[in-house]
Amino acid sequence: MALVLYHGAPNGPSLTALAALFETGHDAELRPIDLTMAERHSDKLPHNTETEMSIEGEGPVLVADGEPMADSVFLACYLNDTTQTSPIAPTDAFARWEMMTWCRQIIERVAPAAAYLGVKAHLGGKLSSFSDAAFEKLMAPIKSEDLKARWNDIREGVFDDEKISDSKAKIKAAVEMVEAKLGDGRDWLLGEFSIADLETYAWLAGMRDIELAAFEGATGINGWLGRMKARPSVARALSLATTPAPQEVWAPGPEINRWG
Amino acid sequence: MSDVTLYHWEPNANSGKPMLALMEKGVEFESHYLDLLNFDQHQPDYLAINPQGTIPAMTHRNPKLGDRVLTESTAIMEYVNAAFPGPQLMPDDPKDQWRVRWWMKFIDQWLAPSFSMIGWSVFIGPAVRKKDPRELEAAIDRIPLPERRVAWRKAIYGAFGEEEMKESQRRVAVGIRMLEDALSQREWLACNEYSLADINGFNSTYALPLSQPDLANDEKTPHILEWLRKVYERPAAKKTWAMGKTDMVKRVKLLERS
Repeated sequence: MALVLYHGAPNGPSLTALAALFETGHDAELRPIDLTMAERHSDKLPHNTETEMSIEGEGPVLVADGEPMADSVFLACYLNDTTQTSPIAPTDAFARWEMMTWCRQIIERVAPAAAYLGVKAHLGGKLSSFSDAAFEKLMAPIKSEDLKARWNDIREGVFDDEKISDSKAKIKAAVEMVEAKLGDGRDWLLGEFSIADLETYAWLAGMRDIELAAFEGATGINGWLGRMKARPSVARALSLATTPAPQEVWAPGPEINRWG
Repeated sequence: MSDVTLYHWEPNANSGKPMLALMEKGVEFESHYLDLLNFDQHQPDYLAINPQGTIPAMTHRNPKLGDRVLTESTAIMEYVNAAFPGPQLMPDDPKDQWRVRWWMKFIDQWLAPSFSMIGWSVFIGPAVRKKDPRELEAAIDRIPLPERRVAWRKAIYGAFGEEEMKESQRRVAVGIRMLEDALSQREWLACNEYSLADINGFNSTYALPLSQPDLANDEKTPHILEWLRKVYERPAAKKTWAMGKTDMVKRVKLLERS
């Protein structure tokens, strides 16, 4: 099995994929790309419908035996399911359901919120310095119209008040969800360490600076964030950062649910 | 009495997914029908089972742990496939499994919401608006998830903006093209085996030839049409759609080969 992982800075979905790779012990070639410069759409890496239309937004791409694959939770499932021992996912059907349901909540509610607040804080300024022509050139290869629209909004500083307050509420709710799980003194969210811990950490780690209030008085989550950061797989992923604060590197993520 | 109870609405969209998966596996289940249009899913007896008030939900009796409740239709399907004997609905190859999950997520979170925005404005909004307005407001107030309250209000009062509907229509056209391309490359949606991705996809698209006749038809999308007919030919699909009560799901009959 020949694996190449194209990844951004160790934050958000790239952090999930990198740490899952290290947890599962696969041999893979790592090729960093700059997701904040839309490099995922460049000719540096292969594409297919699934990478172009991935609703994760700007995330990592894992090429396995020539086929490019996207969506970090499912990449983590793939990396787990190609081992003999299932190190980061339970084998019991009910426990696996719990993990997948938990991850779905993160994917659908927390990831769009974190990406929205993250790019607002850290990417908007960078993009506004581009000339129209230079920005157009970055956007030209993007196939997903709605993803392109999110890039444009960020560059033009279009951030909707309702979406901001909705995103803040979603981060607060996520912190409460994590606190509730950790309430019985367990180390990891669902008992055994799993992809649920990786995916949750990947999206929430960068929120502590931006949404300070959401973490206030939350005692369990701070310990858990510390345990996650100290985990060898996560520490190794973070060591690949080329900037001092990878938790501040954000690219457009999944869209906020259109139904409200 | 069966160990499995499924709380569901019509064999359509999210409810139909675990219904068809259970049928394919040959799992006996007790069917508990909830009338979505009568807001049965927000009544206290159902909220006691699923406090979020979303449909479907499934309970599975465990000899030691009692009834365990499962929600989220796509995750329920993966559970049904793993927890019961019967035909495998996930391919063996891990890359094929990844593709099954990718397509289910794409449909659940990108394509199906666009279909349902159109479907709700055509079917559900007009049907529910016939109710007494005060009763209707009280029913909406009982919805536990705030985002579902917003969605129901939009659907009921036809408050989807023109832009939103246009965007949904654009996505439907893009999605139909993607389905046609995928189905022209392989036998089934995600790989060469029938899988949960087909069950998921069928539930959102079985009425396409009728709801989007200009975009999905034998000339423009022959592979989609053949795929829909192939799924509906399966005995499990026939049994599942025979459980439907409304004209909306009876549209499935247009897939019968003449």
